[in-house]
Amino acid sequence: MFEPRIVAFLCSWCSYTGADTAGIARLKSPANIRAVRVPCSGRVSPELVMRTFDQGADGVLILGCHVGECHYDTGNHRAAKRIPILQKLLSFAGLEPERLRLDWVSASEGERFSKIAEEFTGVVRSLGPVHWRIKPDETITRIKPVQISPDSIPYPKIDASVKTEAIRQKARELLENNQVSCVIGYETNRRGRTRPVFIHSTDDVPRLVWNADCSNNLTGYLPGMLRPVRGKEPEKPVAVVVKPCDSKAINVMVAENLYRREQVFSIGVACEGMQDENNGLQVRCITCQEAVPIVCDALISGTTSSFIPRLSSDSREGISTINTLSPARRFEFWLEQFDRCIRCYACRQACPMCNCPVCLYEQDNSTFVGAGIGLNEKRTFHLGRAYHLAGRCVGCDECERACPMGIPISLLNQLIAAEIETTFDFRAGLAVTPSPIVTVLSGEYKEG
Amino acid sequence: MSETHIDKKLWLISQNELSAWLDGIAEARTLVAPRQVSKSILYRPVANSKEIAWQSQFPKAAPPIRPTLSIKEIYFPSTERLFTINKNGQEIVLKETFPDWETVVFGVRPCDARGVKILDALFLDTNPIDVFYSRRRSNTTLIGMACQSLRPSCFCTSVGGAPDDARDVDIMLSEVDGGYLVRAVTEKGRFLIPGGEWEETGDHFPSPKFNAEFTLAKKGKLIEHYNDPYWLNISERCLSCRACAYVCPTCRCFIVRDEMIKSNEFERIRCWDSCSGKNYRRLAGGHRPRAEKNERMRNRIFCKFYYYPEQYGLGLSSACTGCGRCIEVCHAGVDITEVLLDLEKMG
Amino acid sequence: MSENLMLPYLAKIVEVRDLATEIKLLRIELMNGGSEAFRNFQPGQFAFLSAFGLGEAPFGIANDSGRGSAIDFAIARLGNVTTGLHELGEGDTLGVRGPLGNWFPMKKFKGKNLIVLGGGIGGAPLRPVIQYVLDHRSDFQHLTILWAARHPSLLVFTDEYDEWRSAPDTDLYLTVDNPDDKWNHDVGLITQLLEKISPSPANTITITCGPPIMIHFVTKMLQEKMGFAPKNNYVTLEARMHCGLGKCGRCNLGEKLICVDGPVFNMEEVGGLLETFL
Repeated sequence: MFEPRIVAFLCSWCSYTGADTAGIARLKSPANIRAVRVPCSGRVSPELVMRTFDQGADGVLILGCHVGECHYDTGNHRAAKRIPILQKLLSFAGLEPERLRLDWVSASEGERFSKIAEEFTGVVRSLGPVHWRIKPDETITRIKPVQISPDSIPYPKIDASVKTEAIRQKARELLENNQVSCVIGYETNRRGRTRPVFIHSTDDVPRLVWNADCSNNLTGYLPGMLRPVRGKEPEKPVAVVVKPCDSKAINVMVAENLYRREQVFSIGVACEGMQDENNGLQVRCITCQEAVPIVCDALISGTTSSFIPRLSSDSREGISTINTLSPARRFEFWLEQFDRCIRCYACRQACPMCNCPVCLYEQDNSTFVGAGIGLNEKRTFHLGRAYHLAGRCVGCDECERACPMGIPISLLNQLIAAEIETTFDFRAGLAVTPSPIVTVLSGEYKEG
Repeated sequence: MSETHIDKKLWLISQNELSAWLDGIAEARTLVAPRQVSKSILYRPVANSKEIAWQSQFPKAAPPIRPTLSIKEIYFPSTERLFTINKNGQEIVLKETFPDWETVVFGVRPCDARGVKILDALFLDTNPIDVFYSRRRSNTTLIGMACQSLRPSCFCTSVGGAPDDARDVDIMLSEVDGGYLVRAVTEKGRFLIPGGEWEETGDHFPSPKFNAEFTLAKKGKLIEHYNDPYWLNISERCLSCRACAYVCPTCRCFIVRDEMIKSNEFERIRCWDSCSGKNYRRLAGGHRPRAEKNERMRNRIFCKFYYYPEQYGLGLSSACTGCGRCIEVCHAGVDITEVLLDLEKMG
Repeated sequence: MSENLMLPYLAKIVEVRDLATEIKLLRIELMNGGSEAFRNFQPGQFAFLSAFGLGEAPFGIANDSGRGSAIDFAIARLGNVTTGLHELGEGDTLGVRGPLGNWFPMKKFKGKNLIVLGGGIGGAPLRPVIQYVLDHRSDFQHLTILWAARHPSLLVFTDEYDEWRSAPDTDLYLTVDNPDDKWNHDVGLITQLLEKISPSPANTITITCGPPIMIHFVTKMLQEKMGFAPKNNYVTLEARMHCGLGKCGRCNLGEKLICVDGPVFNMEEVGGLLETFL
């Protein structure tokens, strides 16, 4: 008879004491529970939960103080916000959401602890042994290909010359007036490839272009260029050519204090969308909601008006398609994708929002993920990184375009963004506001 | 092209004969070949010839198939277990784990084969011999496929290679009208060729159309411009993402770490790493040499064209095979040919 | 079958003692095959120590093989591996790989004056040189030891200073950046102490080890102010390493690998390199 192995994170102040109370009252609790005492349920970070599943737990139970009773005031607010999002992400990756439960037990509620422990163990028992961690000699089943991109929309002909000229003019003006130290824009190299360029002098201004391949999100270069050197901020701001999606990243970075708004001069381009390698409209452009950059100091608008069909942001085909698969198929789908991953970290480096001096997943003590380039590690890295972008990802899809192996990682980000929008009515980058995951609850949580 | 094949025998075989031969190999040993995996083509084990991504499956004008990753991952996998550690208190037992298999790799482009030879200089020809690499290497046969044209990013001819260079494979194939020309290059290759009913021919291997050669900067020019501010400009767009090193057939930097298997069992593994990463040289005390992007990019290019050849006896050759993967994969548009062309033109 | 040099030898810790704040001395004895490999290690070589389960890291060997089969390592607690090593006690097992790298050409130094400059824990790889010289005293001329640290609590091998001082034709100078109440030697940087001593370059070899910035300024002073030829200034350098065998590529200093072409270099070699060690 299968007996599930359940790890329960119990907070010192309430639930751990609640478990004690149950014990003192000689109430029966399942022996399957292995308790881990934490100072607060808010301490139970998503990567800790994922590590627990990675190490073979069949179920994870997180019990904290009732909302409003947290010893640290708002620690459990964080758990209340984060764990449901994590459940959705893990479910998307094929782990049954019922294997993760968050609940509240106070110090005196021994009976309640027993009841929840019994209930949860029963649920996990009926789900059977978890299939999450891949063993070294396990092979992954190849599933039938699923269409995860919407049907292609051909990229229309656009006249980019007006915008090219306007961008050059603005750049020339900014450099001539010494307003900025550098203009980050796009150029076309000798191979015909459009790529980032850094214009430091007016002599180089003619290199700037605007076309259907101005795909990179140039804001990613800003934190490195604007950081203080020996305690001093760079003297002058940096100008950057941004599309609407890119400009949202500036708001997120300013909200996170990576630099001040005044340090950036945003040359915002009203964008018709970017083209992909098959001359179709890029997927992220099909669901784009902003035609004009949010953060904009100088607007570059063209003569053609926006034509992009506006689908709502949660109608990303890939997410709905994957959600129609069974959990087991979803599990196999993502393993097949991550099998190709070489853990080069191009996705992370290309992401403007990934700025940690030493990435959590690259630390030498590998607390949350192993150092190897194996399936378990790669999946945890991607799920974890997607989680860390909750409420911060602006949907520029740089990660997916940077991936040398063509893995559809932005689907993970989109899923979380859709959840954040549903739960908190929030989209990253529309204003200088931090992600709702890092703030405390403000009346939107009802225990039930 | 230098005549390296051991005998002048040349066979002309049809697609069916080739498929049958490969089917036979796949049954007896592990056959690795280019294979479509989602959006990419990768060298992967195939159960039979039908699983191979054949050039003929692509439009006529399509560039030659070149898997996203080189065959380096066969000899030098991205993660390799060195040994296991059993720890019971202070009772420690180490158990070595060595790879053990026999592989035939089909569809190897000359640039990839050259890459393996370049890695041989490090892992086999320089003491101490790397046991893991040598075990995998000695049990592998390479069946090469000449390129009939070049991809836009290819520049093998500018670094001493060629699309039909047979030096580093065991058997060389070339597509012609009606099938493939086959010749054995080494004893090992000759052993694998069934011959028998295959039609012998007196034809020559066709010469593919070559790209114009670039005059790329060599070691001397690089050394001359080590301190040039050029490195600051050219590296500004680099994201330090390391994708270039991972797809490169010859990049070999690795990290060694201990990972837990169970509470009393660990494994020491080595994994790919790259000098382009910003924490590559970080010391525990906090000191971080090559903190700036320009230093890292300069190091990577110097290593490829000067340090590696110098350290491992490649003479005047570079450690670059001209495969162009780094150019295709770079998200920020860094182009190694651009860098070397610029340096060559510098006074 | 080739020998797998990535596999460590097992060794037992025979002594642990505190050298300075957060710096411990581990004295080990190799078990089984290891003792053969380490029979004649030379001053300046290094070895990888494994805290099994945490990892391994390179450390300079801190004693001379002429003094016995035990091997000393000075470990500063800075990261995961060193914390793991600090938690080991006498009788515990760890792994050792080596001896690796090149060494100080002591035979070339015979008949010469030697100046040894050690900054902080940088003194540890120099201790084998001092021990060698003291054990072959008549082979060498004057020995000057300059030993520095940021604070007296960070000076290493304090209990051996008397032995060094009292050796014939040997001078020991100590200096700290920030003294405490009990300090009655020099105060200031090692370069200030060096300037005060103002050694002559005639028939003299210098050996420096410490933080990169210290090596830089010491050798600069020796060469520019005191007329030492770069080829007579020896240094031992460090870098992050993972294999120590010249394979993983991490420790390159320009065209040289610190693990196989070093860690001992003279400044003429270092000056000719493209990359600086700073």
